Amino acid sequence: MALLALKPRAAAETKPEAAEATHIELVRYVCAIGAMQSAAAIPRVVPITHCGPGCADKQYMNIAFYNGYQSAGYGGGPVVPSTNASQREVIFGGADRLRELIESSLKVIDSDLFVVLTGCIPDLVGDDVGSVVRDFQKRGVPIVYAETGGFRGNNFTGHEAVTQAIIEQYLEPWDGTREAKTVNLWSLLPYHNTFWRGDLEEIKRLLTGIGLKVNVLFGPDSAGVSEWGDIPKAGFNLVLTPWLNLSTAKLLQEKYDQPFLHIPVLPIGARQSAAFLREVAAFAKLPKKRVEAFIEAEELRYYNYIDGFTDFYSEYWWGLPAKFAVAGDSAYNLALTKFLVTQLGLIPAKQIVTEDPPLEYRDAIRDEFRRIDHDVSVEVEFIEDSYLIHQSLRAADFGQKPPIIFGTTWERDLVKEMKGSLVEVGFPASYEVVLSRSYVGYRGALALLERIYSTVVSHSA
Amino acid sequence: MAINLKTPTVETREQRLGTIIGWDGTASALAEESAFSRGDCGGCGPSGRGGGKARRVCELTGPFTQGSVCSEQMVETQAGNVRDAVLIQHSPIGCGAGQVVYNQRFRNGCKARGLPVRNVRFISTNLRERDMVYGGADKLDAAIRAAFERHKPAAIFIATSCASGIIGDDVDSVARHAEAKLGVPVIPVHCEGFKSKHWSTGFDAAQHGVLRQIVRKTPAKKQDDLVNVINLWGSDVFTPMLKELGLRVNYVMPLSSVEELAQMSEAAATVSFCYTLGSYLGTALEQEFGVPQIKAPQPYGFPGTDALLRELGRVTGREDRAEAYIAQEHARVKPKIAALREKLRGVKGYVATGSAYSHGLIEVLRELGVEVDGSLVFHHDPVYDSEDPKQDSLAHLLENYGDVDFFTVGNRQQFQFYNLLQRVNPDFIIIRHNGLAPLAARVGIPAIPLGDEHHALGYQGMINLGESVLAVLRHRKFHQDIARHVRLPYKTSWLREKDPFALARAQAS
Repeated sequence: MALLALKPRAAAETKPEAAEATHIELVRYVCAIGAMQSAAAIPRVVPITHCGPGCADKQYMNIAFYNGYQSAGYGGGPVVPSTNASQREVIFGGADRLRELIESSLKVIDSDLFVVLTGCIPDLVGDDVGSVVRDFQKRGVPIVYAETGGFRGNNFTGHEAVTQAIIEQYLEPWDGTREAKTVNLWSLLPYHNTFWRGDLEEIKRLLTGIGLKVNVLFGPDSAGVSEWGDIPKAGFNLVLTPWLNLSTAKLLQEKYDQPFLHIPVLPIGARQSAAFLREVAAFAKLPKKRVEAFIEAEELRYYNYIDGFTDFYSEYWWGLPAKFAVAGDSAYNLALTKFLVTQLGLIPAKQIVTEDPPLEYRDAIRDEFRRIDHDVSVEVEFIEDSYLIHQSLRAADFGQKPPIIFGTTWERDLVKEMKGSLVEVGFPASYEVVLSRSYVGYRGALALLERIYSTVVSHSA
Repeated sequence: MAINLKTPTVETREQRLGTIIGWDGTASALAEESAFSRGDCGGCGPSGRGGGKARRVCELTGPFTQGSVCSEQMVETQAGNVRDAVLIQHSPIGCGAGQVVYNQRFRNGCKARGLPVRNVRFISTNLRERDMVYGGADKLDAAIRAAFERHKPAAIFIATSCASGIIGDDVDSVARHAEAKLGVPVIPVHCEGFKSKHWSTGFDAAQHGVLRQIVRKTPAKKQDDLVNVINLWGSDVFTPMLKELGLRVNYVMPLSSVEELAQMSEAAATVSFCYTLGSYLGTALEQEFGVPQIKAPQPYGFPGTDALLRELGRVTGREDRAEAYIAQEHARVKPKIAALREKLRGVKGYVATGSAYSHGLIEVLRELGVEVDGSLVFHHDPVYDSEDPKQDSLAHLLENYGDVDFFTVGNRQQFQFYNLLQRVNPDFIIIRHNGLAPLAARVGIPAIPLGDEHHALGYQGMINLGESVLAVLRHRKFHQDIARHVRLPYKTSWLREKDPFALARAQAS
């Protein structure tokens, strides 16, 4: 039961720059234990945090609350079970305290699966969390653990530590006949992506529309741990992000000989959605007729609304932005840039990827941005420090018209200074209330257009 | 016990005050067990030194605990929201998550006070695995330089973290060198989360750093009409109130400037809306700089507000103006409060907030005729730093408004909150900290989230809170609807449990 937790990156790999470049002003990701909200994103799964007294509160308040005011979910939030490790656990070790907490959690909490996540304290003092959790596993308690100390990685890598912990420690071996038309969807990072719930719902709707059964795994549309139990039975895994979840898909390939399809660009709008559906359908060998019928019906509806938008787009007197910039994590940045360029004809002025993707994936991300459209190539920048991000945005050429910036709350002041418009599309989005809103697929694209141009128009007087 | 500003590290609340985070009983029993216990505290020491009572209150601790809050978060609220300073978080990136929440509060607080709105200035040193081995001092130094070059701050604060504390980075000497080089205060704030069981130690840690390195040691002038007001981001209710006495307000610490912090030693007095927050700073300013801390109840309800204004009038030599203002305000608000009492007849409330603040809010609710027979405070200090019984906020509540039957000390433990609410079945709750209101909402009870901590303060505060109660009772439609459709993550067997501390008692026996 080897745990594929966070791969420590060698010092030489982490950053080519000097130590000066490593501090971060105004964060755009949190630490690995932030993935407690990934566990909580699975219905009826409850995280147990072995960490200092503020860790759970901080991660929740920031990636879930002041980021679209998303709720804690069934078992997540600031008050998940926590050892609230104190001086005693630092000096004498916290394994016994963790054992006591798990034991009592079983009495109090109604959960299908517990996920123990560690913070800096147990990871530094060397608590043998694995052996504590294994004792409970031997008793048949549904529980797994992931080492997510803050110095080991961010909430993106923590997310994969959690998913891989469940796969490695909870899923049964399986070698039956696979259901060719069932797919496991591995996509946006729950909670950190402000719109993940609505987006996953729309992606599931699209895939279901062409005849697939979808294990969406996270969010309100997931059946919870039973769906996770079905992971090995699916025909294939679909990784729908530039890099996140790829190592999970590789793990599943190794463990269950299960193939995966990697599509780096989340579809926004009709063109991308159709291309996405055709690519998935070809991989899954779905009958063309049904796929095309679904796309046709969706396009009919979509272009009916786009037709209605045309009057505004061609006749609005008071100026619409021509150029845009995106500061966000690679998944949404790529998806938005593709949509805005290929479907609206906007001009990309600056694209900054902010989540510190592991170095081995960066060239692939660069390549995707370079071929945004047949006539548009973008050189993406990788920056995590908001001060430097803002300097880079200030230096971009937005031409004569006020720019539109797709970013986060951190860009509010900058956008005022630049007299532009801001659409908050990622962590942190502290001035957005988000319930089921989606910006992907056919329906999400329409919501996105409404949002962009309401923002612009509302500034005009 | 005197406050010790000689060491860079603050003494924790449990060391100084005997703070506890678990207790259940009547408010009067808690007061009886506490060192303060009105009038009997002269010189009470850590073990009853000087003839006073011991600070040991029997604490209930159980095996099941839910996420709390850490001292570093309070440092974010304090040092991180000083307008012309930068806060460096010497930590892995996760501690930096707090930048998001305190940015939102800072921006909205600035807007409410008519100050320019902008982002907070927080820099995380972003400690990684290799720093755990080799230490993070160089990264800290680099971050301090970046903070200085980027923002030209008037002061730089450094918050430590669990990780930097465990690996033993010498933050003090890095700060000392940087201060000598840069010529602005570079202030280490030792706030490792594991060191104190209650987050309020973090208030003290930030205030400790300010007292040591920002407050002017030898004030050139005394500002006889300046009053330090220890607060958070709340609306500016003190300026119009103290104007009536011919006094000016110096708000500290969030939203203040470094100069406003420096001039604290020149003020005529220090007051606060909450002794949990103001205990350390107010007492230290008196001890070190001779700025009198107002020894009176907190300004809630008629007796508390009257007493505080009278004491402020006495200390600043403005008794007549205080009396005139008190009379004028009584005449203004009493008819309105009488009208509110009519509308609030039969309504039952529950207060779940920080300790001293809860005492004040219960007083206001009882002025309004709202029944309060239960309260949850997140911790309890058996005494405040002043050791002056006139600041015994719990005793003030009991003497003026009677007992509270179900008075619970608990560190934001949501699993107990369900059982606590079942015992008293309130119509609404008042709350500031996150994590509990959502549970109340899911069982059909609406919450007043007091983001503006000054909302219920003083004479007008009684009217404000009365109107908020009337408004929130309307929310019941929403909450009763949601209560029919959601499930809590707790086992039915636990939800049926009558004793919120059953697990703790089972473990103790």
